[in-house]
Amino acid sequence: MSLENSTPIHREESAGLMKYSAENLVPFGPIHPALKEPEYFKLILEGERIIEVVPRIGYVHRGLEKAAEMRPWVQNMYMFERTCGICSFVHSLTYGQAVEGLTMYEVPRRAKFIRTIIAELERIHSHLLWVGLMGHWAGFETLFMWVWRDREIVLDLVEAISGNRIHKSMNAICGVRRDMPENMEDRIIERMKFLVDRANYYKEIVDTEETMLERTEDIGRTSADTAEKLCAVGPMARYVGLQRDIRLNDPYAAYDEVPFDIVTSNKGDVHALLKLRLDEMIVSANMVSYAMKHLPDGPIRVKIPPVIPAGEHSSHSEAPRGEIFYYVKSGGGRTPERVKSRQPTMANLPTALEILKGQTIADVPVVLTAIDPCFGCMDRMSFLDTETNQHWTWSGEELRQYGINYYFPERKKKR
Amino acid sequence: MIPEILQAIVFPGVLFTIGMGFLFDWLDRKTAARMQGRIGPKITGPAGILQPLADFLKLLFKEEVIPSHADRVIFLFAPALYFLAPLLSMLFIPILGLKPIAGFDFDLLAILFLLAYAAFVVAVLSYSSASSFTTVATGRLVLQYVSYEIPLVLAIITAAVYSRSLSVEGIVASQARVWNIVVMPLAFTVYIVALMAELEKPPFDIPSAKTEIVAGWLTEFSGRALSFLKLTKEVSYVFGSALAVSLFLGGGLGPELNIALPDWLVYFIYFMAKLMVVGFLIFVLKTALARIKIGQATELFWKTLTPLSLAQVAIILILIHGGVLVAT
Repeated sequence: MSLENSTPIHREESAGLMKYSAENLVPFGPIHPALKEPEYFKLILEGERIIEVVPRIGYVHRGLEKAAEMRPWVQNMYMFERTCGICSFVHSLTYGQAVEGLTMYEVPRRAKFIRTIIAELERIHSHLLWVGLMGHWAGFETLFMWVWRDREIVLDLVEAISGNRIHKSMNAICGVRRDMPENMEDRIIERMKFLVDRANYYKEIVDTEETMLERTEDIGRTSADTAEKLCAVGPMARYVGLQRDIRLNDPYAAYDEVPFDIVTSNKGDVHALLKLRLDEMIVSANMVSYAMKHLPDGPIRVKIPPVIPAGEHSSHSEAPRGEIFYYVKSGGGRTPERVKSRQPTMANLPTALEILKGQTIADVPVVLTAIDPCFGCMDRMSFLDTETNQHWTWSGEELRQYGINYYFPERKKKR
Repeated sequence: MIPEILQAIVFPGVLFTIGMGFLFDWLDRKTAARMQGRIGPKITGPAGILQPLADFLKLLFKEEVIPSHADRVIFLFAPALYFLAPLLSMLFIPILGLKPIAGFDFDLLAILFLLAYAAFVVAVLSYSSASSFTTVATGRLVLQYVSYEIPLVLAIITAAVYSRSLSVEGIVASQARVWNIVVMPLAFTVYIVALMAELEKPPFDIPSAKTEIVAGWLTEFSGRALSFLKLTKEVSYVFGSALAVSLFLGGGLGPELNIALPDWLVYFIYFMAKLMVVGFLIFVLKTALARIKIGQATELFWKTLTPLSLAQVAIILILIHGGVLVAT
């Protein structure tokens, strides 16, 4: 496992940290009202202005990738769904697509449409959640309450379709487990119309409410160059005008059949992000309505044997927060040999840290929220010897060996 | 009529003020909840009216933790000193008839002093808890104080100038025919905005912004001290609204009622009705707005509200000297 992007930043900046006295340091996290998950940011202040941010990640590392290596292919699907409590479906979807690439079976068309519908419903619910949190973190409780009330509409629909509100458990390898219930079409289309109205109303609030404008306009400014250089994904790339959307760049599920517009903005501040996410919600709601109207008939899944042929495959998809990437390696057995996943929060964190420099402490929650962080998804493990400042990661083989030694110490003794 | 000592301690003095603090807290929570599509407190007492009292009592019996770096003496005594400020100020407000319990000829100056005193005590007790969050909060607190103080005092002074009196009693008495809000709407607006900054209500809840600096200057307090600090905030709320009623809305004066009620009760009913209106105005404003940043707040007060309040004083003086208005 590797720490990817954040490691060099951590090392460079901890070296430069010595010149600041402890009085200028305000800890932000790991336990902090503005963070719903534990993560630690050292803020070096000059008055109210931030001159340096040092992240310390890894508080919620759960060893999912390792755990995947000892579970059957199908079980992993529902375990990876639990990577995140918000964008759960898209994780199982991407993992499933990677595994499906190894098998020779084709996913039925109806299943692809159902996947698209659920993924878009999930995007609406995630964006609503984010807009609400944005209000909360900017000190606008009323917006938070209103938006989260509307979010219930989506959750009720998801519950009607899948039986669950958050962890839908809808995906299977090569298909979906549950069919779309009868008579859902009218209900979904009517509710989507209502949500579009609400999204337009929130856009109006965001545009006209003075205090909200003062908190978001010109905050978190960045350029397309910076975002590109730091590999921003999802809305964080689109809000500076980069045309980055996996649904469009590399269509999966039924995205090649459902028409939609990519939403981008050239403004590059938090206000633009708010409007961009609300616009994306409207696009998603229209996509759901379209997919419901054009839902094809046919089977919803193909039964596959529990053994997946040897080989490796990767897949990516557009989660509400940005690109999710899964790599799967099979040795031809009942369990995967290696699974690697990368979440959008990890990709967006360097951009957020770059934006934070020069902002005031009042902007920290707003800017950190802007990337829609999900630290539980993101946390990975690497090794750092603080005395010698040596840093290393383990290769898959080393990790495997460590795992074997850990779980079967007697084998090590024999060798 | 009630004996004076009972007036000071029970009604309409200390205990009544504290009770009003709880009532305002409940109304505040209920209004905000209804506006946000929630129900709000509803379990304790009818419609949850006893919830603030229950919260207060619960905190009272919680463990009190004193940070090791804190200045113990100030940390322990400052909350009590802070609690005194709005309670004492309330004694200068006429609630039962024109004569306040502790009124004297220059009691408006005493009120101004107590406002400054409260801000000073908060800054000191915030600084005494010596944590990084409270340090940032103290900076914001003092900055916010120097911003809202001048417009607030100017708005109060406008009423005093027009009424030619430095006592609250005199100012209320002068509004027998026309309320001050009609003569000086700008001063009233400035007063309400500055009051919201003084009470740290959104959009000015900057020194206690919970998503930025935990609980702001309240962060290190717990148990008894915390319960009293929270109560003090609510009582300040009542006092601020009561002062607005006395200075701009004619206190408890109103049209004659044709019912056989004692004078003090009529005055009291009018006063409470107006108090609720001012309180409600602040509840609604605070629910409908997002928090701004300290720089933006300072800008608002120095660039907009201070000139506005100065202009209001000037307008009143010009109108009086021009003979348009008759100073009462």
